[in-house]
Amino acid sequence: MSDKLLKVDNLRVSYHTYAGEVQAVRGVSFELDEGETLALVGESGCGKSVTARSLMRLNKVPPAEIKAESRVLFQGENIYDFDQNRLRRYRGQDAAMIFQDAMAALNPTMTIGKQVAETLLHHQALSKKAAREQVRQLLQQVGISEPERRLRQYPHELSGGMRQRVMIAIAFANQPRLLIADEPTTALDVTIQAQIIDLMKQLQQIHKTAVIMITHDLGVVANLAQRIAVMYAGTIVERGSSREIFYHPRHPYTNMLLEAVPRLDQPEDKELASIAGTPPDLLNPPPGCPFCSRCRYCMDICLKQRPPVYQFEPDHQADCWLYALEKPAEDAPFTRRDDHE
Amino acid sequence: MKVFRYLIKRLLIALITLYIIATATFFLLALTPGDALSARVEKLPDQVTERLYEKYGLDKPVMERYLITMKGLLHGDFGESIIYEGQTVQDIIAEKGPVSARLGLQQMILGVGVGLLLGILAAVKKGKFWDYFVVVLAILLISVPNLIFALLLQMVFAARLKWFPVIGWPSAGQWFSGWKYTVLPTLAGCFGYIAAYSRLLKASMLDVMNQDYVLTAESKGLTHREVILHHVLRNSMIPIITRLPMTVAMCITGSFFIESVFSIPGLGLYYVNAVAAQDVPIVMGETVIIAALYIFVVFITDILYTIVDPRIRISGGKR
Repeated sequence: MSDKLLKVDNLRVSYHTYAGEVQAVRGVSFELDEGETLALVGESGCGKSVTARSLMRLNKVPPAEIKAESRVLFQGENIYDFDQNRLRRYRGQDAAMIFQDAMAALNPTMTIGKQVAETLLHHQALSKKAAREQVRQLLQQVGISEPERRLRQYPHELSGGMRQRVMIAIAFANQPRLLIADEPTTALDVTIQAQIIDLMKQLQQIHKTAVIMITHDLGVVANLAQRIAVMYAGTIVERGSSREIFYHPRHPYTNMLLEAVPRLDQPEDKELASIAGTPPDLLNPPPGCPFCSRCRYCMDICLKQRPPVYQFEPDHQADCWLYALEKPAEDAPFTRRDDHE
Repeated sequence: MKVFRYLIKRLLIALITLYIIATATFFLLALTPGDALSARVEKLPDQVTERLYEKYGLDKPVMERYLITMKGLLHGDFGESIIYEGQTVQDIIAEKGPVSARLGLQQMILGVGVGLLLGILAAVKKGKFWDYFVVVLAILLISVPNLIFALLLQMVFAARLKWFPVIGWPSAGQWFSGWKYTVLPTLAGCFGYIAAYSRLLKASMLDVMNQDYVLTAESKGLTHREVILHHVLRNSMIPIITRLPMTVAMCITGSFFIESVFSIPGLGLYYVNAVAAQDVPIVMGETVIIAALYIFVVFITDILYTIVDPRIRISGGKR
């Protein structure tokens, strides 16, 4: 019924540790169209990687727990209802994933060629020879020179950028409908970052793949994503088109994130902006807005009640009390709190 | 070229090590009060004793004996046994070596095999019944000395049930017909390997299962079995394979306790008796040969590292 490629609805993931239940993801919802690029942006520990992994059902259960009401609908089907066979077809064929550190994400004792061929052979009826030929073409496609020689090499014999290209080759091997990229450029230097982003963009256009790009770097997604979702403390606090987020950020957190992106035209003596304080402890998440302890505009109500979603443009929403037009039923006052400064 | 230089270097280090071991063994034996002849029980006429001292060179000063022994070692001549007339170390190793080697290898194959299987079981079923079963079993097996197991096995399977003989060993040439004799000593000696290898593999597999590349393998849609076989096992075998040669060396040099309890005419028992009797040529010879074996095994281990783990290369330089 739904024409959305992916629909995530109230995803909640907890980790059971000795200290207690860490609520890593606390109700994340978003949608993704065919061929669209969505960026999930947020700082370390905000739950973006856990979200990414839950989209592939890669969280280890236990210690992880995917809450019962969470739904991840791929083409209308909940992936958490998949049986093992359907799940294996989903992984690698319908959806693929790229990880942050390609060195760690490639098997050190297996040749590049075998690691790419493995995913081909698993999902397509190919002879070993045909698979090898396809691997060669794939490596060429992702811009690896001398593919014939490279496919016999081991990951440690390649440079960081090349390893990430291999990961991309593995991900695109079966032309997936959905690609989840978990900080694919974080471990690389800036020049290589740009190359990798370009490569992903190019392949995405050829194969019409939808991409979920996970990053902490707003600069990376500026000209890649059509839509951006800003995550904080396990929830999405603001979502909207790239344009809207960059030019009309609504949530104080998004604002501060944008201020923290380094700019070329910044005066040399000016210190790069940073956000004071630390994210809340997800063992005991605060009852109100998760950002209130670091927010410039924090009000009494922010401490007591989670903010509702406010709609701005047709495709722009933020969860923040600042936009409330009238006093909510709870009688917490709308007074500024400046005492935390 | 680099490989060649590496081999030469390793050989030189091996020779120096052997020299130090031989020298240390010699002086340790020389420092021990008494000697092989005075330790003998029966009283011989003085003249005979004198002749014997002369024959084995035990009347000469220590330094001279040291030089003679070292010269002999250089020629591969360890000298005759003082206790067993006319026998050389080579004779004894040729005679008793195969016995210890057979026993040791049987123990190892059974122990390492079962150990690895249990290790896989424990890692795959982590946190479930089989995991705890293997942990408890390993602790039990490693904390009870195999001497106790030997006696228990003798009591139950030999004395009570009479399935196997209590003691003894097939004589030379009886490789298969005498298998019943080898069952209990093999069992008694394999428990340590089971404990050690199951724990080693489990720890190694759990470590590998937490690596990112296992996640990559899963995200490719491989089956659980494929992930374990192709990605987890090979990487977790690295510590196992590099430890195997040491185990081989350990088991073919014989085990004193098992060999004494089951009256097995092997090297381990003989070696310990030779030390007690201060049979200098035999002790020297065996020590040097066993040391050489270990040095060789360490070398093999280093070669194996480069085969199982492509990240390690002999040249030692940057890749």
